[in-house]
Amino acid sequence: MAESSSLVVRPTGEQARRGRFTVALEQIWVLTRRSVLATWRNPGSWVPGLVFPLGISAIYTAQFARAISLPGFPEVDSFLEFILPASVMQSIAFGSTNAGTDLAKDIETGFFDRLIASPVARQSILVGRIAGSAVFAALQAAVLVVVFVIFGAGMASGPAGALAVVLVATLLSVALGGFGIALGLRTGNQEATQSTFPLVFVLIFVSSAFFPTTLMRGWYRQVAEVNPFSLIIDPTRRLVIEDWSWADLGQAAGVSVAIAVVSLGLSYRQYLWRLRAT
Amino acid sequence: MTTTTTPIDVDRLGPVAAGPVIRWLSGRALRRMRRLPSLFVPVILMPLFFVVAFTGSFDGVTRLDGFPTDELVNWIAAYSMLQGATMAGVGSAGVIATDLENGFLDRLLASPVPRMAILLGPLAYAATRALIPTTLVLLVAAAQGADMPGGPMGIVLVYAGTVGTSMVIGSLGLAVVLRIRRYQAISIVQMGAFLILFPSIGQVPLGLLTGWMSTAARVNPTTNVLRMTRQGFIGEVSWADTWPGLVVIAVGTVVFLTWARRELDRLAG
Repeated sequence: MAESSSLVVRPTGEQARRGRFTVALEQIWVLTRRSVLATWRNPGSWVPGLVFPLGISAIYTAQFARAISLPGFPEVDSFLEFILPASVMQSIAFGSTNAGTDLAKDIETGFFDRLIASPVARQSILVGRIAGSAVFAALQAAVLVVVFVIFGAGMASGPAGALAVVLVATLLSVALGGFGIALGLRTGNQEATQSTFPLVFVLIFVSSAFFPTTLMRGWYRQVAEVNPFSLIIDPTRRLVIEDWSWADLGQAAGVSVAIAVVSLGLSYRQYLWRLRAT
Repeated sequence: MTTTTTPIDVDRLGPVAAGPVIRWLSGRALRRMRRLPSLFVPVILMPLFFVVAFTGSFDGVTRLDGFPTDELVNWIAAYSMLQGATMAGVGSAGVIATDLENGFLDRLLASPVPRMAILLGPLAYAATRALIPTTLVLLVAAAQGADMPGGPMGIVLVYAGTVGTSMVIGSLGLAVVLRIRRYQAISIVQMGAFLILFPSIGQVPLGLLTGWMSTAARVNPTTNVLRMTRQGFIGEVSWADTWPGLVVIAVGTVVFLTWARRELDRLAG
């Protein structure tokens, strides 16, 4: 009871006239825009997420150019095509902690407390932050896809495939961002939230991101095959190197949404905890 | 009665005066690392992760014609060790950057301490720190089935390569931090160090590289250090594969340390 009542914001006269839902949407829009602009104005938080995956792709494409002829390697024109989805997902993973660290910063600086004290719908604060990171992730993914295409990566399923890659990346950013937000809310500490990054880095490495699992051996292969990142990257990759398939889009998006449900549920719980603590 | 004090040219005191300072400064940095898990854990975990992940992920490349070993761990172990050594080198930059920000470096410069010792202390710390990932990766690689046909000499060269790399990167880090005089300079050192390390024969031999990577790896000095460090895993140790690596380490350390010393003198005014 205490939890639900803490989420109720009594509408002011103006808000009541326009309808609570419309006001909440406006607040989400404002907070989303703030989140996107804050990220944009802090290049240190997103430039590495673009540069590092591009650098890794350039290096791996040159290093493993001959590996594409190995039996068991998917049929591709270049390693660049193979690595495209992995680079996009890696970029998203890089930025996944940003939403959490930004929220932790708001808590550290007291901005979060001021938002809570203001007549802003409680849900809008959380949704605005998640939507902000999702919008930025979509832009980042789109830029990466364009860069890859410019450098010669083919897109077998055409523009629809490119859009699908961006969609999956956006869903994944929500999924991973949810964990970052949960941690940011729990700790209220930027450094602690940022420290989860290596975990994501490890998870993405022990997957089919950079090499096909068919060419791996032993326990590593077993772990890579069941790694959720593989379950997202493999169908996304098929959209890039094979024809369009609703089933592949469904799998990649479905796994991302399933992870998002868990992470957002976790972040909502932490949000309620933070509201009680504030 | 008035007393006059003659300024001491501390740099003329020589190694007798520098020795205890270097020991104390490196010991202080090692104690700080032990107390801060955020410094200590990546040093241990990241190189171990690299050797396991690279070996697991790219195992298939050993099936390519011309790959010099059937077990990828023989190829990757040295690369992971050098990554650990690079992090250790960056750590020395972290030490001087912290001392710069909290004013300790100013007090050191004002005290009768040989200037070179102020630089050699963090470098000794980097070299000691490099021994940790090297030993751990060596053990994990052995557990993963790595060979050492090069025998004890191969192992000596493994340590020579990693300690040497930590000294080169450490000297570079000291110079950059003293030049920029901000803690954020560490990111530049980190990025620069890994940019030097990546375009090399770290994951794939020279003969299998293509395009710009082949050219970059051929002229990259890291290739020589890797060749020297790795040779014991692949076959017999040879002087031809050793001396270019030693030259890179010696020249790199002298050049960057001279630069760092110049920046330190500028800082001292």
